[in-house]
Amino acid sequence: MKTSVSRYVISVLISDRVGIMRGITSAVTDLDGDIQGISQTVVQAYFTVILVAAFKRPVTARTIQTAISSAFREDEISVMVREFHDHSASLSKGERYILTLMGRESPGILKQLTTYLADKEINIEDWYFRIDGIMVTHIGEITVPPRLDIRQIQDDLRALLEPRDLRVHCRHENLFRATNEVESIGLMLGKHAG
Amino acid sequence: MYRTDNVLGTVRMLQDENLDVRTVTMGIDLSDCAGRDMAAVTAAVHDKITRKARNLVKTCDDVSSRYGIPIINKRLAVSPASRLLEGHEQDAAPRLAKALDAAAAAVQVDLIGGYTALVHKGMTPGEQLLIDSLPEALSTTERLCASVNIATTRAGINADAVLRVAEAIVKTAAATGDRNGFGAAKLVVFANSAEDNPFMAGAYLGEGEPECVINVGVSGPGVVKRAVERLVTALPHCTLDQIAEEIKHTAFRVTRTGELIGREVAERLNTPFGVLDLSLAPTPRVGDSVGEIYQAMGITHIGAPGTTAAVALLNDAVKKGGAFASAAVGGLSGAFIPVMEDRALAEAVSEGWLTLEKLEALTAVCSVGLDMILIAGDTPSAIVAGIILDEAAIGVCNRKTTAVRLIPVPGAKPGDHIDFGGLFGSGTVMKITAPTGSEEFVRHGGHIPAPIQSLVN
Repeated sequence: MKTSVSRYVISVLISDRVGIMRGITSAVTDLDGDIQGISQTVVQAYFTVILVAAFKRPVTARTIQTAISSAFREDEISVMVREFHDHSASLSKGERYILTLMGRESPGILKQLTTYLADKEINIEDWYFRIDGIMVTHIGEITVPPRLDIRQIQDDLRALLEPRDLRVHCRHENLFRATNEVESIGLMLGKHAG
Repeated sequence: MYRTDNVLGTVRMLQDENLDVRTVTMGIDLSDCAGRDMAAVTAAVHDKITRKARNLVKTCDDVSSRYGIPIINKRLAVSPASRLLEGHEQDAAPRLAKALDAAAAAVQVDLIGGYTALVHKGMTPGEQLLIDSLPEALSTTERLCASVNIATTRAGINADAVLRVAEAIVKTAAATGDRNGFGAAKLVVFANSAEDNPFMAGAYLGEGEPECVINVGVSGPGVVKRAVERLVTALPHCTLDQIAEEIKHTAFRVTRTGELIGREVAERLNTPFGVLDLSLAPTPRVGDSVGEIYQAMGITHIGAPGTTAAVALLNDAVKKGGAFASAAVGGLSGAFIPVMEDRALAEAVSEGWLTLEKLEALTAVCSVGLDMILIAGDTPSAIVAGIILDEAAIGVCNRKTTAVRLIPVPGAKPGDHIDFGGLFGSGTVMKITAPTGSEEFVRHGGHIPAPIQSLVN
């Protein structure tokens, strides 16, 4: 049994209710785990979280999975634990853009859009969508490699999605930071120079 | 992940509420182009402008694409052209005007400002040349814009210059009679002019400015209008201070957008960033009107009692939001009331609710003055001068910029409808309630001394 790995990535899926995060973080902490990164959301009453934790004493993936599962009913939770390997260096580099897509809902929008993005090696960092009647809104954070011409990307996306009655825009993330944060614009641009 | 409502709020401002960067204006100092030989001067002017601004339009287009924000106009503002006319004869002025116009065309900008004279305390020979040349300069060029500063709080009002420039306005309109006097729409007369104002027709590069600088004018009356409408819909009994607070918050977001664009354009051009002018500058489009903001606030008929207070509330809230958003806020930064360019204001004039005299009252609390106003073509220059003097007095005594951009339409009478097309809009020729009776006062000329407010040291 392998026990030398000290960092794990943990994913949990469960019906949403009060106290889930307490159960998960208590199980990790009781194993001397230190949570180093976390992203949690709820989609249509389903709670999901992904977190990275480092453990001071040798533990196995099975031990972590059991510890978390035992805090809940066995039939209500799915837990997956994997060894953490830092592969951030292999991720595509570039600048962050916010892609927004609004219009009439129809099957296959995401497949069409994500196929285009993948073909261009544009990485999706985060994605959200909501449906309101027949209308749909997508918001995505994507990383556009520097070799790509953003105007071409914008033109391609419009050509791809406007025939489906969808309005699509792709704007640099600094715009959203500028309009919603109070940080100095000069500092904001300096941080992202190059 | 960004908050969804924040992302959608920003997208809404751009997609549905006409938020745009109205102008990126590059200021260029032309002092080093001066000389005794006008051929050499014009060559130097063309060389310097095309060298400094050759990448302005492309850079603006690139940054516009990156952020998905329209940059409507790319413009130039040069140091006052009158300085290049010192020591020259009258024929030098139109040559210089044409050279500026040609250089602007070469770099594909919309307009070039700075055919300017600063004569608030006195006039040099070059400044007199420039003012006298305005009818020819503005009737024979396409992109050239002119301005004359005739008063400051520190210097008082140069009444001689007011008379001279009033005659120039009437003659300029006459020289462009085939276009309903459109030439006068490119000439603005200031008191306390802003030396870093990026908006036309009054932009020029003032004293103390860098050799080359990027100033940005951001607008967004549609964004403010919708914000007020949403508030009033959600809280029908909201108070005026709540409306002011909503406008302030909206102005913050608009200002930040403009600064982002301005700083990035400046950085890419390796040019200093100057100021961000947050001015609610309307266009004739529906949903892009400052007048519609007053209507959203409850002023059903613009011009009715209460309108001046509404303008004051808006102007102040815009400035406060902008000041919190950026340390680089400058220029005029407030609410413009250019009658022809604003659909709701033009309608209020046409329907008789908004009079010239009420507009004059509004200029005491708005960011500029009597702007884009049509008057009868037979209005005597002395009466035009009287209007300028009144407006200058408001600016001088209130330590603020005021301006006059009057268009005496040749052959037109009060009530006639005139259409300039495009962003210049259309409007009704306004009636001057007392069209005579001040000529004797105006023709005294001389100088109205600086008010007691000027003694601040």
